[in-house]
Amino acid sequence: MEEESPPPPSDLPSPNPNSPRDPALQKKHQAMLDRLTNRHQSRQKTTSTTTDSTSSFLSTFTDSKRSIESQLTNSPSTTDPTLLKSHLASISSSISSLEKLVAESSYSLPSYELRSSLKSIENLKQSLENLNSQLLPKKKFSFRNKSTNKSNHENSNSIQIPSNPENSNPIPTQIPLSIRDSPGIRNKENQNLTKNFKNFKEIGEFTLSDLDSCEVKLIGCVNALFVNKLRNCRVYTGPVIGSVLIEEVENCVFVLASHQIRIHYAKSCEFYLRVRSRPIIEDCEGAKFAPYCLRYEGIEEDLREAGLEEENENWGYVDDFKWLRAVKSPNWSVLEENERIESVEIEDSGSAEMEVESEGV
Amino acid sequence: MGLLSIIRKIKRKEKEMRILMVGLDNSGKTTIVLKINGEDTSVISPTLGFNIKTLSYQKYTLNIWDVGGQRTIRSYWRNYFEQTDGLVWVVDSSDLRRLDDCKMELDNLLKEERLSGASLLIFANKQDIKGALTPEEIAKVLNLENMDKTRHWKIVGCSAYTGEGLLEGFDWLVQDIASRIYMLD
Ligand SMILES: Nc1nc2c(ncn2[C@@H]2O[C@H](COP(=O)(O)OP(=O)(O)OP(=O)(O)O)[C@@H](O)[C@H]2O)c(=O)[nH]1
Ligand SMILES: [Mg+2]
Repeated sequence: MEEESPPPPSDLPSPNPNSPRDPALQKKHQAMLDRLTNRHQSRQKTTSTTTDSTSSFLSTFTDSKRSIESQLTNSPSTTDPTLLKSHLASISSSISSLEKLVAESSYSLPSYELRSSLKSIENLKQSLENLNSQLLPKKKFSFRNKSTNKSNHENSNSIQIPSNPENSNPIPTQIPLSIRDSPGIRNKENQNLTKNFKNFKEIGEFTLSDLDSCEVKLIGCVNALFVNKLRNCRVYTGPVIGSVLIEEVENCVFVLASHQIRIHYAKSCEFYLRVRSRPIIEDCEGAKFAPYCLRYEGIEEDLREAGLEEENENWGYVDDFKWLRAVKSPNWSVLEENERIESVEIEDSGSAEMEVESEGV
Repeated sequence: MGLLSIIRKIKRKEKEMRILMVGLDNSGKTTIVLKINGEDTSVISPTLGFNIKTLSYQKYTLNIWDVGGQRTIRSYWRNYFEQTDGLVWVVDSSDLRRLDDCKMELDNLLKEERLSGASLLIFANKQDIKGALTPEEIAKVLNLENMDKTRHWKIVGCSAYTGEGLLEGFDWLVQDIASRIYMLD
């Protein structure tokens, strides 16, 4: 806003994350949220009609894709740079509109259609790039070429379909961080571990990492669960109110309930899940899925509190981010009923199992 | 690419801002966008491609691109760099283990020439979770103080659940972009 005082010159950024909560700001915020909610509700009526049908999206998409392709192949036969530029600009703006169409429909599009549309747009952009360098060789039209980072510019033009994780450098650069560890259970072997969150006033996140041949039972709700580097383990948990992130696990059985579950680098594992949205796998093989099957005293109440009381069958609709084709991903399957474990019952404490004192709590 | 920036000069609608939201998967980008748009946040799927939300904020129209952060689709991010006025980097402040991943991806992003003019807002999200790192701690891990001196940036702690901090962050971002773009016109 021009008339409001501009922010201080930000060459010397002064992050001030600790500013006290300002009641006026709070009020403003609430007003904004209310206003936006109204806007959204009035808008929903119109947007639902424009995005309800995948087939209408696809026909619009295909039409404009064709028209862009024909523009790409029918360049004006002239060397007048102004004409050429305007031709290229018009194609570019058509591609942008098409991209916007996809983005606006992306909430409602099935995953395969979404991803193939994305791929088509990539291809169109690539063709435009090629045409651009063919028609207007060697010239750069950038208002932002003052930057010092010339070297990166070349890379950024080589568009890739993301199918190779190798280029994204999986080896983490070690940061010398002496940050405290989060609460969790780490570095154990051959143990039965139970943790009850029932008596915790404040629940937070919880981590399970570097466990081998352990059985882990978590009773009660947590906000977020991180699971990392587990082998030959069985993990049974009460509801997670936020999300679960699982990475690098092998030969494990998980019984989990959560709003979101993301699984990366899992090999030969079984997942008995209740999830609000579709489970996500990436870089997995031999992942098998079945419905949640945990019982302990009070679990119904915990599930209700977490908004997970309903079985919605999402456990059987897994999205594999590594799978770009219409046929179902070979990396996961539904566990046959006769191969599933019986429902798991966690006895209340008093059992011989040890109650772990996890670190950091 | 460059070509698009020409079009931008010609075709940029009055008072429009393009904002790119990125960050690791699970950091809360989609939840933030929906929350700020006053929508229901109770069922959100991990983002398969991207979402776009157009919303009015003060006198501006914000086009917010929320791009999925799963590793497989991070290489798509670069498709959205062009024309970006504001960059929002979202961090899950409770995910201590992946902070190095987070730093690496952010560092890569900031090397991008096409993003060199964009104002950078870092949301240290999930502050409502007990055990989450504070914005100061996140700033230290991400080494923000040593960022290129020409970059306009700010880190704000927030929670997409409670809404805390969201307005503060977007207010800063919009003001900063406005002061760069529209005051020069
Ligand atoms: N406790 C808490 N949980 C949050 C907050 N913001 C998001 N979450 C949860 O974190 C999980 C991930 O949120 P999303 O918004 O889907 O994250 P994203 O960054 O869009 O993830 P991708 O689309 O995969 O890149 C969800 O289960 C959210 O409910 C927050 O402020 N506090
Ligand atoms: Mg998302």
